[in-house]
Amino acid sequence: MIDLNDIISTTEFNPLIYWVIALMAIPLLSFFTTTFLKKIAPVWGTMLLGINLLISIYLASQYWDTTGVSIRGNWFSIGDTQLTYSFLIDQLALIMLVVVNFISVLVHFFSMEYMRHDENKSRYFGLLGLFTFSMLGIILFYDLLFIFIFWELVGLSSFLLIGFWFEKKSASLAANKAFIMNRIGDLGFITGLMILYSQFQTFDLEGIKSLTVLSSIEDGNWVAEYFKNGELVRNSLDGRWLSAAGIALFCGAVGKSAQFPLQVWLPDAMEGPTPVSALIHAATMVAAGVFMIARIFVILDAQALEVVAVVGAITAFMAAVAAFSQFDIKKVLAYSTISQLGYMVLAMGVGAYTAGLFHLVTHAMFKAGLFLSAGTIIHQLHQLEGKDVNFDPQDMRVMGGLRKYMPVTFVCFLICALSLAGLPGFSGFLSKDAILLNTAVWVDEKGGGFYFIEVLAFATVLITAFYTFRMIFLVFTGGFRLPKLIPANATLKPLKEGNVFLKLPMVLLAIGSLSVIFGFAMMAENTWFYSLIQDPIFLVPESYAAFNLMDLPREWFENLHFQVVAISIGLALSGIIIAYFLFKPGAKYSASFAEKREPIGLVGQISFYHWYQNALYEKVILKFILWKAKRIAWFDRVILDGFINFIAKFQVVFAHLIAWFDRNIIDGFVHLTTYTTGRVGQLTRSVQSGNVQVYIMAALAFLILMLIWLLF
Amino acid sequence: MPLNTILLLGAALFCIGLAVVVTRKNAIAVLIGIELMLNAANLNLVAFSRFDAVELQGQIFALFVITVAAAEAAVALAIVIKVYQHFQTANLDKINELKG
Repeated sequence: MIDLNDIISTTEFNPLIYWVIALMAIPLLSFFTTTFLKKIAPVWGTMLLGINLLISIYLASQYWDTTGVSIRGNWFSIGDTQLTYSFLIDQLALIMLVVVNFISVLVHFFSMEYMRHDENKSRYFGLLGLFTFSMLGIILFYDLLFIFIFWELVGLSSFLLIGFWFEKKSASLAANKAFIMNRIGDLGFITGLMILYSQFQTFDLEGIKSLTVLSSIEDGNWVAEYFKNGELVRNSLDGRWLSAAGIALFCGAVGKSAQFPLQVWLPDAMEGPTPVSALIHAATMVAAGVFMIARIFVILDAQALEVVAVVGAITAFMAAVAAFSQFDIKKVLAYSTISQLGYMVLAMGVGAYTAGLFHLVTHAMFKAGLFLSAGTIIHQLHQLEGKDVNFDPQDMRVMGGLRKYMPVTFVCFLICALSLAGLPGFSGFLSKDAILLNTAVWVDEKGGGFYFIEVLAFATVLITAFYTFRMIFLVFTGGFRLPKLIPANATLKPLKEGNVFLKLPMVLLAIGSLSVIFGFAMMAENTWFYSLIQDPIFLVPESYAAFNLMDLPREWFENLHFQVVAISIGLALSGIIIAYFLFKPGAKYSASFAEKREPIGLVGQISFYHWYQNALYEKVILKFILWKAKRIAWFDRVILDGFINFIAKFQVVFAHLIAWFDRNIIDGFVHLTTYTTGRVGQLTRSVQSGNVQVYIMAALAFLILMLIWLLF
Repeated sequence: MPLNTILLLGAALFCIGLAVVVTRKNAIAVLIGIELMLNAANLNLVAFSRFDAVELQGQIFALFVITVAAAEAAVALAIVIKVYQHFQTANLDKINELKG
């Protein structure tokens, strides 16, 4: 039997805590100070984040080989209940630290040029600092309650940054949408927290994991037995709550990582500045959901993992389909992000922990690179806008042939796009293949209806390559379409390549998208990432646990590996080829592209409107909610208010009665008393005339009366 | 002289004094009335002392009454003077500050 207080006892002092505090304090300092520094805010914010990057690289080099350093302390106690905080610095946290800080620095640097002419740029840089602070909190804390707190802070900073240009109606609406969708997911997160707390009475992940190992299934009940403050605690829940806890926590990830069915907020979130989209809505924040699943991975049971896998596969496919008909370059990238997040979640669901996290890291690099390249294009196109030239610089219909004007951007974009499409030599290939391979093995083991997951996963490869290269052909090849779309008399400034502020982050991220970064390997298993992070073993009671992928025979992996690689490369190449024939300069779709308002045909429509999910929500759920709200409002107004009004009216009438009684009866008594007293007073007063002779007369009369009484 | 006559004289004197006290407006006149009433009482005392030839208690008591009356007159006159100084009148109808 284990004592809970031992597991969550305070650890010995470790100087590492200073570094941890510094890591979080520096971005927070940036948040608090940049508002006051008007002109130098960008430089200041970038410098602070640079320091943070250096700290995280230093920490990574120091703790690279350790198994993880845990720091725990007592936060506060209420009665017997002790709440702790704890940090865990393991390889996963270190890698995430470096990735988040690296991309954050690059985005800061990029924003120095991108936001140069924005008058609110000090607020912008402050919010970036707030975001980085909250994100690092999620990464460093190893306590579900703290992760939840920072989870919410991340949501807040996302809300503030999506709505950064809040004077635009669409931006503030998008911010609200993101916030509300995240809130729905967070409801699940809180539910999961409550289930776990009621079972284990701690939020500390180490404690939860230790107690999960010791919990057992007895007669279909999930029983946890441990000592707490010297007393035996025996908590028993129906076994289904074990799955429910996992699924509920996953709901949080569904909201934050934009998974089906809550993913509709992410395309709208593109209303924010493009560097923000790169940092928050592509590389880091949306990956927080995946990171969170990784943190709770070992306490997920088979059922919860199945849900995770199915949701991931559906999301990956749906979003990929939605991406191939958008006009807005950022929308394409947004759907692509959702799709890739679907892959990561799918990987988690099939138990491919390492592959999912590997894809998280590679995706962070190449997607941030794609967003920053797109940001460069948008920024440079925006420069062309003038008094008589008005267009949407995010619309691919105004682009075309940009390769000639912006060669560096083109190369960066191409490298990141090849990585996204998953071609050998680029990081996306390694991680995506690892996911596909693990999914294939998992599906073989599961069998049955789960084959549709594999089908969706492989179909997504084809579509991903297709939409990526559709975008490249439309943006970078052919002729520049903008001059034809503007009024004839307007003059257009020449389109130029971005300056070093825009170029450097792009180039660095493009380099980060090459597979050599992760070692000279053609297989994910041979990269240094895989040697650092291994798939953990599930800790839930045996009858509920999913099978571990690593328990399966290695031959299965080896046999499937060649097929998976061949099929995925084949699919990716055919996607590129289809895109080439449809969208190469002068091809059928490419020629009519600029005039199109929306795609034609069923598939095009479904894709363009993202499976009509928004419309469905508006038509059904929103309508239902509004209908329900109206009914409830009616109930409120007529029944509840009626009842209250009736009581109020009754009270008023009753009060009038009481008032009458008070005025006439009670006051009557009082008035009678005072009147009587007054009259008596009047009467007796008149005797006191002050006239001495009257007194004498009275005395005389009294005397005479006395005499008469005495004598007779 | 029969006792009845003296007692009747005393009663008449007392009644006159009382009438003066009750009816006159002037404080000094009222004092005079009081003196009359005192002397009516003295007359009675003296008259009854005839039946006490040895000790003459009635006459001695009358002497005491005269002495007290003299003192009383002195005090009363002083008060009247003060009252007059204060109210600028000796009219008892005007001096009614103690009216309730």
